[in-house]
Amino acid sequence: MVKKALNPLKIDFKKGIIENKLQQIRNSRTTTTPDLIKVWTIEVNPKDSKYVLDLIRTKTQKQDPISMLHIKRIRKITNSDTSVSLVVVIGSVELFEDKNSVQSMLHSFRKDLKYSNLSSSHEIPKEGPQTKELMLQWSDEYWPLVWRGNPNDQILNDYTFNMPFIEDILLKIHRLSQEQYENGNIYPIVTAFVDPNDSTNCIYACDTRAQQESSPLDHSIRIGINAVSKRLKERKKVIDNAHTEGYLCLDFDVYTTHEPCSMCSMALIHSRIKRCIFIQPMTMTGSLKHKSGDGYCMHQHKLLNSSYEAFQWVGDKLDPPEISQSTCC
Amino acid sequence: MESRHLTHMRQAVKLAKYALDHNETPVACIFVYEPTDEIIAYGMNDTNKSHTGIAHAEFMGIDQIQEKFGAENLVEIFKDTVLYVTVEPCIMCASALKQLGIKRVYFGCGNERFGGNGTVLTINKDHSTISLNENKTYDAIPGIYRKEAIMLLRYFYVRENDHAPKPKVKKERILDKETFPPIIWSSYIDRSLFGQEFGLENLVHFDENTDLAGISNHGIDWKLIDDSCDDIVDTLEITRQKAQINIHKRIKSTK
Ligand SMILES: [Zn+2]
Ligand SMILES: [Zn+2]
Repeated sequence: MVKKALNPLKIDFKKGIIENKLQQIRNSRTTTTPDLIKVWTIEVNPKDSKYVLDLIRTKTQKQDPISMLHIKRIRKITNSDTSVSLVVVIGSVELFEDKNSVQSMLHSFRKDLKYSNLSSSHEIPKEGPQTKELMLQWSDEYWPLVWRGNPNDQILNDYTFNMPFIEDILLKIHRLSQEQYENGNIYPIVTAFVDPNDSTNCIYACDTRAQQESSPLDHSIRIGINAVSKRLKERKKVIDNAHTEGYLCLDFDVYTTHEPCSMCSMALIHSRIKRCIFIQPMTMTGSLKHKSGDGYCMHQHKLLNSSYEAFQWVGDKLDPPEISQSTCC
Repeated sequence: MESRHLTHMRQAVKLAKYALDHNETPVACIFVYEPTDEIIAYGMNDTNKSHTGIAHAEFMGIDQIQEKFGAENLVEIFKDTVLYVTVEPCIMCASALKQLGIKRVYFGCGNERFGGNGTVLTINKDHSTISLNENKTYDAIPGIYRKEAIMLLRYFYVRENDHAPKPKVKKERILDKETFPPIIWSSYIDRSLFGQEFGLENLVHFDENTDLAGISNHGIDWKLIDDSCDDIVDTLEITRQKAQINIHKRIKSTK
C-alpha cells in the first residue's frame, strides 16, 4: 500500500483516470444504503482488550473473506450497573459458520479468556462508504466506522501499472486488428492474454467466426482462453497437479480491442483474470461499462463471487476498425 | 408437463450422475431437436479435467453439434433445438445459447452463484446479447427434477474437500436430504407461461413457490440419482449418431 502522495503515477482520483490514458470502469451506482453482513461479537472486560486484539491480529483478520479495515473493532458499552464492557467484532459469518466453531477457536486461543454474549446478531456494512457524511451516518445506524478517505481512492492508488508495457500491447493488438481488417476479416477483434509470471510470452487471439468451419461463438476471448489451455497442456504434456487452483488464467491481464460481450466478460470471471483493458466501447453489446448494453458491469457485479479490474484506453487515438455495434465481441 | 420433457430431463440427470461418479461436477445436459424429438448432443462439465473454468456441459454439446452438422448449420439447427440441463445455465452459457438462437431451455435447479436465466441475470431476455436467429429471446423453464439436481450437487460438495483458497472454519459437512429452498418461479417465468407448461391445475405451486408434485413423486426419485449408470454415455452416443441422418435430410430438403 503506497501513500497517495508517493505514487509515481498521475492519478485523477475524481474521474478515475490514470496517466490521462486509462479510465477505470466502475459500477457507478452510488450506494446510500449499505450491504450488511452479520458478524460474531463477544463482550469482554476492558482489561482483557489486549488479548482480544491479539486474537484478531493472529487468528481472524487475515483469514476473514470480509475485510474489516473500515470498521472499529471495539465498541464501549455501559452496563446497567455503570460498569463498562467492550463489544468486540471477532469475525464475519463468512469466516465462522456457527457458534461452535467460534467457541472452539476462542478456546484454542486462550483457555481462560473470559467473555460473554457470544452472538451473531450485529450487522456491519460490508464495505466502507464513499463520503465522510455517509460514514458518520452509517456509524450511527449500524456500527462505528473508520474514515480512510474514499475507498476507491485507495483502490486506484493500489493498482500497479507498467504504462510502457501496457501501451506496447495495446499498440500491438491495434495493429493486428488493422491487419485482420485489411485481410478481409469482417470481425477484426483481437485479444492479448498476458501471464503475470511470463509476461514476455503473451498469447494473441483473433476472432475467427468469419472463417469456414468456425462457430459464431469463436470470439477472440474464447479463442484466447482455449489457446492458453492448449499451450499449458503442450508444455506440461499433461496437467498433473490437480491441486493448483484450476483456474487457467489466474491473475492474467487481458487486452482487447473491443469491449467484450456477456459471454466473454463472464468467461473472464470464470477464468479468474486480474484485469481487462479494452480500447473500443461497444454501446449495444458491451458488458463492462455501465452505459454499455444492459449495464451489466460484469467485472464487478455484486452478485458474482469474484471480480476483475477493467479499464478503457482513453489516451492517444487508437482507432480499431469499425464494426457493427450489434456485434457481440 | 408433457412426458417427453420428463423423459429427456431424466437422461440429463443420469448423465450428471455419471459425471459425479467420475469426479466431475454433476451438471449435464441433453440437446433435443424438437421437430423429430431426437437427442442430437449431450454434455457434461469438464472444468476439473480441462482446468479452463469455461468447459461447461453446454459447450460440450454445442461442440458435438458443430462437429456433426457443420458450423454453418449451427444457427439453423438451434432454431428448433431445446436444451435440457440439470442446473440453470451460467451467464456465459446462457449468452452462448442466446447468440446461437436456441428455441427453449428446461432446467432442474437454479444456479445460485452464476445463473444466467433469472437467478443472477436474465440473459435470455436481455437486449445486449444479440441472437443470430429471428427469435430474439428464449424462455428458460425451471423446476424439472429440481430436487434430484440439488441432491447431486450436495453429494458432490459433501464429498469434495476444501480446495478453496481461504478455507473457512467449517462445521462438519452433513448431507441434508430433507430440506430444500423454495423455488421462486417468478424469477424465471411468468404465471401464464407456467400455466401453459405445467397445467392450470398446478398454478398453486407457482403462487406458493413449491415444487411440482408428480415430477418427483412428492419426494425424490432416489433410484434415478443413486443407481449407477455407466452405460449412459454409450447409449447417448448411439442415439446422437442416429439422429444425424434425419437432420441432414431436413436441412437439405429445406434448402
Ligand atoms: Zn464475446
Ligand atoms: Zn456455463
